Amino acid sequence: MRWLLSSALVLVWSAAAAAKSFTGNRLLVVLEEQSEREKYSVFLEDLTSRGFTTKVESPKADKLSLFRHGERAFDHVLLLPAKSKGLGPAFTANNILEFLKLEGNVLVALSSESATPTAVQSALLELDISIPADKGAVVVDHFNFDSSSASEKHDVLLLQRPGALRSDVKNYFGGEGYIAVPRAVGQILGNDSPLLSPILRAPSTAYSYSPKDEAEAVEDPFAAGEQLSLISTLQANNAARLMVLGSAEVLQNKWFSENAKISGKSIKTANREFAQQLSAWTFKETGVLKVGKVVHYQDEGKSKKMNTSLAIPENNPTIYRVKSDVHFQVEISEYSNDHLTPFVPSPNDNIQLEFSMLSPFQRLNLSPIAQTTNSTIFGVAFKTPDQHGIFNFRINYRRPFFTNIDEKRQVTVRHFAHDEWPRSWQISGAWVWIGGIWVTVAGWLAFVAVWLYSAPTERSVKKTQ
Amino acid sequence: MRVLSSLVSSLFLSGAAIVSAASSWSFEDATVSISTKGAGVGGGSKDKLNPSTPLAKSVSLGAGDTLKLVLTNVDGKTAKRPHQAFLTLTDPTTGLEESFVLSVKESGKGKVDLSQKDLPHQFLTSSKPLAASIVIGSFGSSAPYKSKVFDLQVSRDPNVPLTIPEAPLRYAAVPEIHHIFRSDPKSPPKIITLVFAAAVIGALPVLLGVWMSLGANANHLSKALGDAPVSHALFYGSILAMEGIFFMYYTSWNLFQTLPAAGVVGFFAFLSGSRALTEVQERRLAGLR
Repeated sequence: MRWLLSSALVLVWSAAAAAKSFTGNRLLVVLEEQSEREKYSVFLEDLTSRGFTTKVESPKADKLSLFRHGERAFDHVLLLPAKSKGLGPAFTANNILEFLKLEGNVLVALSSESATPTAVQSALLELDISIPADKGAVVVDHFNFDSSSASEKHDVLLLQRPGALRSDVKNYFGGEGYIAVPRAVGQILGNDSPLLSPILRAPSTAYSYSPKDEAEAVEDPFAAGEQLSLISTLQANNAARLMVLGSAEVLQNKWFSENAKISGKSIKTANREFAQQLSAWTFKETGVLKVGKVVHYQDEGKSKKMNTSLAIPENNPTIYRVKSDVHFQVEISEYSNDHLTPFVPSPNDNIQLEFSMLSPFQRLNLSPIAQTTNSTIFGVAFKTPDQHGIFNFRINYRRPFFTNIDEKRQVTVRHFAHDEWPRSWQISGAWVWIGGIWVTVAGWLAFVAVWLYSAPTERSVKKTQ
Repeated sequence: MRVLSSLVSSLFLSGAAIVSAASSWSFEDATVSISTKGAGVGGGSKDKLNPSTPLAKSVSLGAGDTLKLVLTNVDGKTAKRPHQAFLTLTDPTTGLEESFVLSVKESGKGKVDLSQKDLPHQFLTSSKPLAASIVIGSFGSSAPYKSKVFDLQVSRDPNVPLTIPEAPLRYAAVPEIHHIFRSDPKSPPKIITLVFAAAVIGALPVLLGVWMSLGANANHLSKALGDAPVSHALFYGSILAMEGIFFMYYTSWNLFQTLPAAGVVGFFAFLSGSRALTEVQERRLAGLR
């Protein structure tokens, strides 16, 4: 009876948890003109069907605030382009950054047809993402444009779905087909920040120009080629995510499955799936890592099986000896849309364990050793260094598009105890000294015997007489 | 790789477009010239560029040199000003690109000047020549043009130090560190140890032999045991036992096992020793020592 009840409870719980962001489902959609809502209706319905409770508000609506009682009032914000240059008191640059600090996720959609609000512009500048300052600046490409809708202006770019950022980074945005990026605002990402990563770069022949000033010929483009990013992301140190989508029209119904033409070839845009991938990543439905148990133990010749049950504590030793064999295991899961799956890093990537006191003494790649239904167990065996002190088992796993893992377990590494050293007779170099001692002992016993029991010889008797 | 493939595809694309479109962008009367500072007129090189085939030899840009590219943009046959006229340099190994905008007049004549200080440091240190391509495109239906026209070899003055900024941090796997253990203490070769150990042990028979030759003996053992049997047996026995205690301490005992045992043996040695030594003294007084 009881198990029936509990399994029913689990069922209810899993149904409620299905299709939901890892961090929460309160989504605020900021849209100035409520009449424009129709344009995004399919995208918003998709979000609702994935478990988000969306609230569409004008930025200047009464009592609208990102925060309530010092906590964030929404988990995610979608900022759609507005006609006016100001976004009102609820969306100052400071508020947007503060929202990121409270681990809220923001998807900022820009459009070259409306001016970017100053608050958004300065918030992005704060994060080292620069966008053109003048209104109407647009990305064009005379090579990869949609010749059915933009045969004259070349401002609807048709691009292949992006590949992986690097060979060791997982690609959450790939797939078949072309995506239409109409009237995009290009971004330049600061080179110094490891938190920024582009998702979609402009093709090498594209450039961003201002139609107002450079109608005849482009003289000083904002940026050109692959240095121009059309969709870029920031994942802060607290794993809050911000995505800058250069073209809000990517999310509009019109382009979700539109017939387009690129250099004579008719294609259908794959924007709907791409928009789903973009929002899923930004709102933490994908790319979220979770660490389960971290277990380490002294290797005494037999390997132990990790118990992943949460009911049993980690129960790790707190002290090891120098130069002893240690096993380390960690359980990592990846959240994928609505459930935890075993985490599989890219083939060229490695999760690394550092055994460190101030600086790492050992930094080792972990290899997957087992898999459960929703996690992978990574492990490595190594020898503690010949240095005593307070050490940390540390996993600091930071990669673009994954939430950060930073796990530490502190242990003491002690000296050899006095009875753990090899005995002197095991050291061949000591045999001379050991022999010396026993010769001395034997000599001493012989001397005592002679001193006690020696009779005088003839010669010495004579001498004494 | 992606850059390369996109380059190839766009080349292909532009090639295909040239065939199909009514008019297409291209250039005429293009020359690339290198003028070296202080070399005067006639110094440096000057080459004509062909829109369909890249220049066979690579153009070399020295430290003080200025590259000058002059061309006339044409749409079909007529000279015209395009919206986009770029000279794009590509590093073939990394795929890094940088575009330089040609300043184009109404007549379609365009030019760009380039010297080493305009190039990013990655280009200055590139080992392979940079691929220089010209991109011409504009709004409307004319097909754009993009093709590699020459290779640019940047030869830097090795005496001028170049400040290369440190590579920015990117989150990726870092090289492994394997702790290097201090080497274990080593013993000398066993044969040497055995020779010296044999020498040390060999010293005992030598010592005993010397004593014997000097007349050492144990002839009074029976006499001593006859006079004070208990105390002599106990005294010598306790000295042996003390050595045994030391042996046990060396192999297995700890100090708390050793000290009581040594105390008991020492007590017996003291009591029996005084008697035994009295007997020895009696023998000496009797002139037997």
